[in-house]
Order: sequence, then C-alpha cells, then structure tokens
Amino acid sequence: MRRLFARLRPRSLGLRARITIAFALGALLLSAILASTTFALTRANTLNQRESAALSRVYVNASTVKIRIGSTSATDIQDTLLPSLQLPNGARPVLHAQGKWFSLTAQIGENSIPPSLRALVDSGHPGRMTFTLQNKPALAVGIPLPSANAEYFELVDLSDLQSTLDSLGFSLLGAAVITTAAGGVLGWWASRRTLRPLADVSQAAEAIAGGRLDTRLEATLDPDLGVLASSFNDMAAALQERIERDARFASDVSHELRSPLMTLAAAVDVLETRRDELGERSQAALDLLAGEVVRFRQLVEDLLEMSRYDAGAVRLELDDIRLAEFVMQAVSVSSNGDSVPVELDSELAGVVVQADKRRLARVVANLLDNARKYGDGPVTVALQRVEDGVQIVVEDEGPGIPEEERDVVFERFARGGVAGRRGSGEGVGLGLALVAEHVRLHGGRVWVEDRADGHPGARFVVELPVLRS
Amino acid sequence: MSTRILTVEDDERIRTAVKMALEDEGWVVEEAETGEQALEAFQRHPSDVVLIDIMLPGVDGFEVCRSVRRTSDVPIVMVTARADTHDVVAGLEAGADDYLTKPFAPKELSARIRALMRRARKPDPATTTMRFGDLEIIPDAGVVRRGGTELHLTKTEFRLLCELASSPGRVFSREVLLERVWGYGYFGDGRLVDVHVRRLRTKIEADPANPRHVLTVRGLGYKLQG
Repeated sequence: MRRLFARLRPRSLGLRARITIAFALGALLLSAILASTTFALTRANTLNQRESAALSRVYVNASTVKIRIGSTSATDIQDTLLPSLQLPNGARPVLHAQGKWFSLTAQIGENSIPPSLRALVDSGHPGRMTFTLQNKPALAVGIPLPSANAEYFELVDLSDLQSTLDSLGFSLLGAAVITTAAGGVLGWWASRRTLRPLADVSQAAEAIAGGRLDTRLEATLDPDLGVLASSFNDMAAALQERIERDARFASDVSHELRSPLMTLAAAVDVLETRRDELGERSQAALDLLAGEVVRFRQLVEDLLEMSRYDAGAVRLELDDIRLAEFVMQAVSVSSNGDSVPVELDSELAGVVVQADKRRLARVVANLLDNARKYGDGPVTVALQRVEDGVQIVVEDEGPGIPEEERDVVFERFARGGVAGRRGSGEGVGLGLALVAEHVRLHGGRVWVEDRADGHPGARFVVELPVLRS
Repeated sequence: MSTRILTVEDDERIRTAVKMALEDEGWVVEEAETGEQALEAFQRHPSDVVLIDIMLPGVDGFEVCRSVRRTSDVPIVMVTARADTHDVVAGLEAGADDYLTKPFAPKELSARIRALMRRARKPDPATTTMRFGDLEIIPDAGVVRRGGTELHLTKTEFRLLCELASSPGRVFSREVLLERVWGYGYFGDGRLVDVHVRRLRTKIEADPANPRHVLTVRGLGYKLQG
C-alpha cells in the first residue's frame, strides 16, 4: 500500500507543493459537502413551502368551482368561472366538468396533465406531483369533485423556483471554488511556516559544510522544533569537536616532531663535518639520512602551516611587493643552479602586489618543485598582466595533468595518477595544497591547464590582484 | 680567544646536539637549562653571543632577553616556534637581534651568528667622526653621542645606524638593509628592520614618535637625515 502511494506520488512535487495540494483538496471536499447539503436542504424546504401554499390555494379554488359549477353553463365556466379563480402568476387551471375540458389557454389542456395523476384523480383520489411541463419544472395538483361530477386540476409553473435554486447552486459553487483556493493559499502559507525551520536547518548545514563550524540553530520554545534544533546543534558540536580534535592532533604531532628533528638535524650536521672520517658505506648512509632530514623538516613545516590554516590561525604579513623582482628572486633562490628563464614584459616591472613575502615565495618554490618532480623540470616561468590582476605562470614538459585530476592535484597528499605512474615515489605531499591555501588567502586563484603552445606539459597559473602598476 | 656562545634550551638532546655542531665551528659553547641558570652564567662570565629558546619553563626567553640587554649589547639570537606570530616581534622588542624557527639547521644558526658578529662597516676610511645635527657617530670606536651624551646601542643597532649613515639622505630598502646588516638575501624578514629602526629611534631621537634622524619613506624604506 505504502509502495503504491509512493508510486502514485509524483516525485517532482516538493513537500511544500504536496502540503498545499492537500490543504486545497481538503478545503474542496469540505466545501463540496457543505454546499451540496445546503443545496439539498434549501431545495427541499423551498419546494415544500411552495407546494403547501399551492395546495391550500388549489383547495380554495376547487371548492369555489364545486359551489358554482352546478348552475353554470359551459360558456360561463370558460369565461367567468375560470378567470374568477385565485390564480397567481404561473398557475393554470384545467377543469373537467360536464364531460368537457376547460382551460384558460390553448397550450395548457387535458394533455398537459401527467396521465398518472389523471388516473389517480379519475379513481376519486386527490393527488399532486412534480413534473416537467414544456421543459420547465412544474407542479400538478388534481382534486376530484364527485358531487359536481367534475375534476379540478391546477398546473403551477415552478421555473422561478428553479432559477432561484440555480442561482443558489451557482453561489455555492463559487463559494466552494473560493474556499478551495483559500485552502490552497492557507496550505502554501502554512507549509512555508512549517518548513521555515527546515530552511534554517539547511542554511546552517550549508554554513557548516562551508567551514563555519561554529554555526548553530537558534534555540526555540516550540517543543516540536526544539528537538530538531537541539539534536542538530548536538551533531554540529560533535562534528566541530571532532574536526578541531583532528586538527589539534595534527598540530600537536607536528609540534612534538620539531624537537627530535632539531636534534637529528644538529647530529647530522656534526656527522657531515666528519664525513671524511667515515667509510664509503657510512658516507652513503649519512647522505641518505641528511636528505631525509631535509625532507622531513619540510614536511613538518608544511604540516604545521596546514594545521594553522585548519585552525583559521593564519595571518598574512602583508607587504607591498614589486612582483617582477620578487618572482625573479624567488626563482633564483629555489632553482639551485639550474636556472629557469623568467619571461616578463617591461610594463610589468612596476606592478606591485600586496603579499606575504615568505608565503608567496613558498608558492613559487612549491610550483617549481612540483614541476621538477612531476613535469621533468620547469620550462618557463612567466609573468602576465591580465585584466584585473597579474598571473604567475609555471610550465613544465611532463605528461601534463588530465582534466579530471586538475582539481585533485590541489588536495592534500594528492598524487596525480600520472605522477603516481611515473613511480618517483615522492608525493607532492602538501606542496600544491599549500599553494592553493596561500593563493586563496591572498585573494587570488590558482589552476592548472594545458600548455598554451600545444606541447605536452602542465601549465600552473597563479592569479593575484594588483595593488598598483 | 675564541668566541663564547651561551645556549639556553630546556631539551637536553637538542642542547647537546647543537653544542656539538657549534663546537665544530670552533666556538666555545656554554649550556644553560633554565632562564635562571642562563642569567647566572651570563653574569658570572658574559659570552659573545646568546642563543635563547623563547619557550622556557620558569623565567621565559623574553625575560632572559630583557635581563641580558639591561647590562650588555651582546648579539642575541632567539629561537621561536613560529615565524608568523607576535612572538617574533615581542622577542625583537625584548632586545633580540635575530631569530630562528625550530627546527633550524645548525648551519643556518652559525651563519646568523657570524653575521651578527661582523664589525660595523666603515662608511669611509678617512672619516673618523660623522655629525647629523646633535648626533655624533664614531664608527671606529663604536660610539654614538647625542648632545655630547654617549648612547648605548647594541652592535646590530650600531651597524644599522652606520649603514644608514654611509649615504645620508639616500633611501635604503628593507631588503638592502637586511642584506647589509643581517646578511640575509631578498627573503629576509622585514620585521627585523622595522623593529630595529624602532629601537634605534627610542635611543637616538629626542622624540621617537616624531623622528628627525631616521625617517620612514613609505613603501620604499628608511633614510638618515642630518
């Protein structure tokens, strides 16, 4: 059954539309019942009144006929007796006396009387019935007058009553339509009221997903909604605590690693000073150790920086920086001898950006590092002025990065499938993730695309806002 | 006599390893585990360079820094946990000449120490005394007087002043000053210059808030005016 309902329920309709429709249908049902009851009662009532009024009048007319018919000629019956009867608008007398039929108009005569009524009256009983006369509702009353050997009939046009009932029905239909519409509007309004807390919840959930972990729902006095709000807030608090604990853990671990690293670095230094006293194998081992200590230091530094970002504790030390000079310096510092050409237009010499020198230098260094590890070395570093900023472009001649991995490479400890296949064993680790964080905090963007000249290779672009040029 | 270095560090392993590395540079290293020990050792026998870890139990590194500064112009290198905190500025304002963040390579430390122990550059061998208004600088003797009264500058402050004095009126960028005074390349921390200029002003300016000698040129650097 439930499944049937589920299948019947249109999937495209939202909760709000469904509530509205339910309200409208409810209002329709209610107003239909009310209207039809009202109509039926009113109709019966009005008909009764008309009938009893007609009956008493017909009896009066019948007794008039009964008294006067004995001494009246057929002509007098037609010209005097019938017109003297009490006849309101729409009442037509038909008299059967002296073996003849009398009526006031030619259209109404013995044939107008329903045969069953005639048969009833013929057998000596008075009767009445409603029927259709010339396509109009009508009441027929028949009274036998045995003492005068006559039968008196009266046909009463009920079409005025019908039009009253019609207009009543029309009004009731109108009322039902209005009620249904009002029900729909009420449903729409009520559903909005009802769903508002849900909208709040969805907004709060979005805010949390967007990183504002301290977002909470307002406490409410409504006992029904209070449960939702408090369980939502509990969930958010648990989530926040967990994320913060994870972040703190990463930060604590990195902090704890610094002291042993410090000792390691100093001890390796001491050994390196005595390198000549060591055997060949020991020297090789020392080289491995020294290399790993450097990598380890970088990793711990990156982890600490990342956990600062996670804790939202990064404050940029902003300086006005001449970007062209800065990038050339950064490239020469981080390329250890193997020089990479920096391409720039002369108009870029005066471009000044606001940046944290240390962090922006890391951006350049990490991009070059990435090109060395995964792109067979950086081919060019270029500076370009674009409409609302300046771009630092690093191109390499590696295999490039397939479209579907272009966002992933900026995630932590991501290794592109391409990079992984190359089996260098050195992950980018946090390098590109930090690039993304640094650039974002500087109000810029970073992305990777195909090389502009069509050669295979990746093209990393950092776009920064310009302070002045 | 060889250079004596006092290292203040509460982690014994780090202390030992750093001591060995510094001794390999030919320096004599004296160790202190706490701030109190350090101050006591320094009073007993002042060293040529002091290396202070800011995070010390008891008397913290800032306090050790200030106490040493009260009696001495010896170069002080402090070790901080992070480069981007207020710790760096606070340490420099407490009197440190330079800083390193943990974990650092001992080679960086010895490079820092060597840079701080360099003598002030003589602006011109022929010049023995330079005058800028009420200010009088005698590079050879390491003496600065204002209105005849001798001022106590640290070695680094004095070198900074001499550097600015070598071309009066010329604007020195922070990068240039970092390189000439501290031996850093382009990527040195500009706050070193800013805090030292501030410290220098409190000593040589009559009104440090409205300096007349060491002027800031917005967005460019600093210059010395007569």
